[in-house]
Amino acid sequence: MSQPNKEVRDVYGDYATLTVPPEELRSTLNIFMVYMGVLAVVAAIFAGSGLAQMYDPATTIQVALIGNAMLAIFGGLLAYIGGSTRANTYLLLRYPLGRIGAMIGSLVVSALPLIIWFAVETWLFGITVNVIYPGHPLTSIAAASAWGGILMMLTAYYGFRAIALLSYITVPFWYALIVIGFFAAVDISGGFSALWAARPEHIAPLGVGITYVFGLYASGCVITSDVARYGVKKWSGSIAWGLHVLVFMTVLLFTGAAMTILTGSPNVIVAIAKVGLGVGALLLAILGQWTTNDNNLWSASLAWINIVGKLNKRQWVIIIGIIGTAIAAVWGGVYGMSLDPFITFGTFLGYFIPPVGAALIADYYIISRYLLKRQYRFGPGTKYGVINVPGIIAIIAGGLAGWGATTFGLRLPTGVGTFDAIIVSFLLYLVLAVIMYKATGRIEVGEWIEKPTGF
Amino acid sequence: MSLEVARIKKFAEMSIVIMLILGVITLALAPATGHYRGFYLSVFLGSVIVVVSIIYLPIVHMKKSESAKDVAVPAMQSLWVSTSMGLGYVVTALAPYFKITLPVAVTLFIIGWIMLLYGTYALLRLSKEAKVPLAV
Repeated sequence: MSQPNKEVRDVYGDYATLTVPPEELRSTLNIFMVYMGVLAVVAAIFAGSGLAQMYDPATTIQVALIGNAMLAIFGGLLAYIGGSTRANTYLLLRYPLGRIGAMIGSLVVSALPLIIWFAVETWLFGITVNVIYPGHPLTSIAAASAWGGILMMLTAYYGFRAIALLSYITVPFWYALIVIGFFAAVDISGGFSALWAARPEHIAPLGVGITYVFGLYASGCVITSDVARYGVKKWSGSIAWGLHVLVFMTVLLFTGAAMTILTGSPNVIVAIAKVGLGVGALLLAILGQWTTNDNNLWSASLAWINIVGKLNKRQWVIIIGIIGTAIAAVWGGVYGMSLDPFITFGTFLGYFIPPVGAALIADYYIISRYLLKRQYRFGPGTKYGVINVPGIIAIIAGGLAGWGATTFGLRLPTGVGTFDAIIVSFLLYLVLAVIMYKATGRIEVGEWIEKPTGF
Repeated sequence: MSLEVARIKKFAEMSIVIMLILGVITLALAPATGHYRGFYLSVFLGSVIVVVSIIYLPIVHMKKSESAKDVAVPAMQSLWVSTSMGLGYVVTALAPYFKITLPVAVTLFIIGWIMLLYGTYALLRLSKEAKVPLAV
């Protein structure tokens, strides 16, 4: 691992194209708090509502635990790479995918999905406002999504301190609110016996739910290095990631499912309103979305800088914000309060993003260590391949395999689409890399020399 | 330890103690809320404040570092949680679901505001003096 030259300037901000210097490292607890802040979104609770439509409460816990355990292991392995190298995801991908391949990988992993995430959260914001203040043209889902998206974009651009501070203060109580909402729903809806007795007409196969849970946070898993690179220990990110996913994501999913079952509303915001927790609680839910969406904008802009190498983070915030807001407004107008777009998006994520992480794991832990005998190094003058052929083939094949397994019933080892996608891309990367290395002496084509800006 | 770091440490400890005292008061008010829902709300939010403050106070107190950052970071983590729970009282104390008697609800609401305002001030001051970003 190499540290950036002291003379190298962080021209893009947030060490977008550089490794994190030692003086910027943070404690494991701090890394854990950052992950928790990102998880504090209404979307996570909405996802629980999706599970409630597929399973009874006991199976929901089972599905959530299995899916989240897979996320903990997968994300933990990736976080360790970030903690060891101090590099973000887009830098790391230069090895398993090559320099141009990393740009394609960044598109798949963050640049495009995070625009959609921004749009989804903006859409949920529109729904929340509509629930609190129905019946006004400006509070229709489409209109609220539009002005909400613009406001989020502007706060991310200008960094309004008051809103940033309020959002920051909101995060711990947001978790308390979810606990309170859960027990309140139990309280007014017949107690735990009513909860445990509930079950949908048809119970979906476990694999569908596990894929759903895994797909929900698969994108976050693959970009976990973006936070883990700041960890004071190599393993800080892995521990923090594993704990927050396994414990808190499971709690959030179950809570969302329970509130839906108990109140009969597939919309958790409506459920909170029905319980009578007050407008203030709903406004806090809005703030949670606001913070997360600002994060989405900043993360997406980080990815686009690594792809394009032009414009700074704030300029990308505006571009991505306009696109995401437009999608949200149309989405809200077309689909109304349906959860279908969200569920479709969560499932779609499960296909092509995890294979990118699988290729990175295969390259860092096995191919680079035992076959190529190389270490991940970054900094001006570092040479990368332009395209890592096995890496590109592995993520395409893995993504298609996962899609085929889920959509067309293609028979693969585990029957869990997303997990199959990971196994296929992981194994394919290993096999292809060994074959190509034996045949040609290298696994990449072309050569890219890193510029002084880190691009 | 330099005078500057000692001063920051003293302020951090005092802020955590203030939050601890306010948390204990809200816990003490729990039996007077008049309804089991309000009781559980006060016990839950109050306990979070008290437990976090009790855990972090010795951590901050035993720091012997020369760096203001080392003292400010744990103090800010504690104040972050306490302030947030204060915000919790602001938005829930008067909510119809909890059925808290008006005098107690108003008291909790006021305490919530005090925690929110003082906590925000303390966080900003520590952040500025120790040069630690507020972002978690």
